[in-house]
Amino acid sequence: MAANFWASSHYKQLLEQEEVDVVHSPDKEKGFTLEDFKLIKMQMSNYIAKLAQYVKVRQRVVATAITYMRRVYTRKSMTEYEPHLVAPTCLYLASKAEESTVQARLLVFYIKKQYNDEKYRYEIKDILEMEMKVLEALNYYLVVYHPYRPLSQLLQDAGMTELTQLSWGLLNDTYKMDVILIYPPYMIALACIYIASVLKEKDTTAWFEELRADMNVVKNISMELLDFYDSQKVTADERIGAALHKLALKP
Amino acid sequence: MDKYEKLEKVGEGTYGKVYKAKDKSSGQLVALKKTRLEMDEEGVPPTALREVALLQMLSQSLYLVRLLCVEHVDNKKNGKPLLYLVFEYLDTDLKKFIDSHRKSIPPSSLPPTLIQSFLYQLCKGVSHCHSHSVLHRDLKPQNLLVDKDKGLLKIADLGLGRAFTVPLKSYTHEIVTLWYRAPEVLLGTTHYSTAVDMWSVGCIFAEMVRRQALFPGDSELQQLLHIFRLLGTPTEDQWPGVSSLRDWHEYPQWKPQNLARAVPNLEPEGVDLLSKMLQYDPSNRISAKAALDHPYFDSLDKSQY
Repeated sequence: MAANFWASSHYKQLLEQEEVDVVHSPDKEKGFTLEDFKLIKMQMSNYIAKLAQYVKVRQRVVATAITYMRRVYTRKSMTEYEPHLVAPTCLYLASKAEESTVQARLLVFYIKKQYNDEKYRYEIKDILEMEMKVLEALNYYLVVYHPYRPLSQLLQDAGMTELTQLSWGLLNDTYKMDVILIYPPYMIALACIYIASVLKEKDTTAWFEELRADMNVVKNISMELLDFYDSQKVTADERIGAALHKLALKP
Repeated sequence: MDKYEKLEKVGEGTYGKVYKAKDKSSGQLVALKKTRLEMDEEGVPPTALREVALLQMLSQSLYLVRLLCVEHVDNKKNGKPLLYLVFEYLDTDLKKFIDSHRKSIPPSSLPPTLIQSFLYQLCKGVSHCHSHSVLHRDLKPQNLLVDKDKGLLKIADLGLGRAFTVPLKSYTHEIVTLWYRAPEVLLGTTHYSTAVDMWSVGCIFAEMVRRQALFPGDSELQQLLHIFRLLGTPTEDQWPGVSSLRDWHEYPQWKPQNLARAVPNLEPEGVDLLSKMLQYDPSNRISAKAALDHPYFDSLDKSQY
């Protein structure tokens, strides 16, 4: 939507890790842990990506929708803002903000296809009601910058376009975490290039030095991503199931 | 909305009523702008969404009127929700400010240093919009809010509701002024650029010096003739492609007049900057960013901006 990240509201909205890792009290009362919170956000990111495949929107819309969802949960509890409704609503809102509007009824159709479970099936009016609530939770900040464009530009600059596919995949995976709320997009792009170059055994030391980017930040993001992959080795399904079960408990 | 006490209606903006109001708890004065949401089975219209989002993003600048918050109200009467945009309140606008100088007894000029400072702030604000690929398209003295005591000028009425075209009539059927409209717009160009705003900036600059509008046309044709009489009828040499614009006709051939005479008392550097803002060919017109570095501003203490 816009060109200048540093002058943007996105830049001013960047948060500290501690601000993102807050389990809100209604969730806490259900015995919800930070781990549970992260797992459900990951699960909802996957859900958004899944729905997006059905309704055929660009990766950019998916990324924006996931960012909205993650921003909502820095302010609101999952008890009050049911994740299975917030997730498709964020996709709906992102499709409008990114100028590729998806019809609400199409979304509802695919939600029903996804879930046989009655309690996760929503109607158009639920989405429209939640849209207004999500807008307010986001305080109408809808412009989001993503690392995709910086990633392609940086790879081109570095003459390392052979790393495109790998680093692009890594970048998609960063949306399973909260990094987009915490770090500037080009730093996230650099971290993906960094990991990709290590995996492909390409020496990029000189290039990174020339960039004068803060390597501490780049390495922090990279570590987070690698830790995330490690944690994924233990099958996540059971843990997600347990977390969702807690959320379903009546307060 | 109970948070605010409406004090008076201060205007009929192009897109809705504007109220001066007071935040009951803090006593802060605000401007409330009402926007109806034409909701249908697709919820909040994408255009409204993008506009509010742009406003929210751009109003971070000191040179744009600050959007303090957005309040959503369910309209009980017809079910159409209302959005109230809550802006910071400034006591006057540049039109009223210029008028007060013209009508004072005896009439007084705007101090040259104030004109310089206002123009600089205006270029800062326009440059901010343009750096985000946003065109204002309707810059005029009424849309520039002024804090007299602090000497501040801020751009208001930003981009709301105008995705592609500048409306000819506002929703209240008040005719939208043509005085600040760039010649390429008047000639029906299909391709708008940031240069349309810079033309308006030039007209506003001249108006601050003259205390009256530079090109006060009352129809699109009259507007063009006003421009041509001062700057000369544009030629293909000066402005390649002008005669193939949609609304181009054969016009009387006027020779360019001396611009300095239209802005008496403006120093030569100012006249030079003005002439660069009033270039016919949009691609030759000075950008807001370049204008900030023009020698006209050399004597301005830029550290305070």
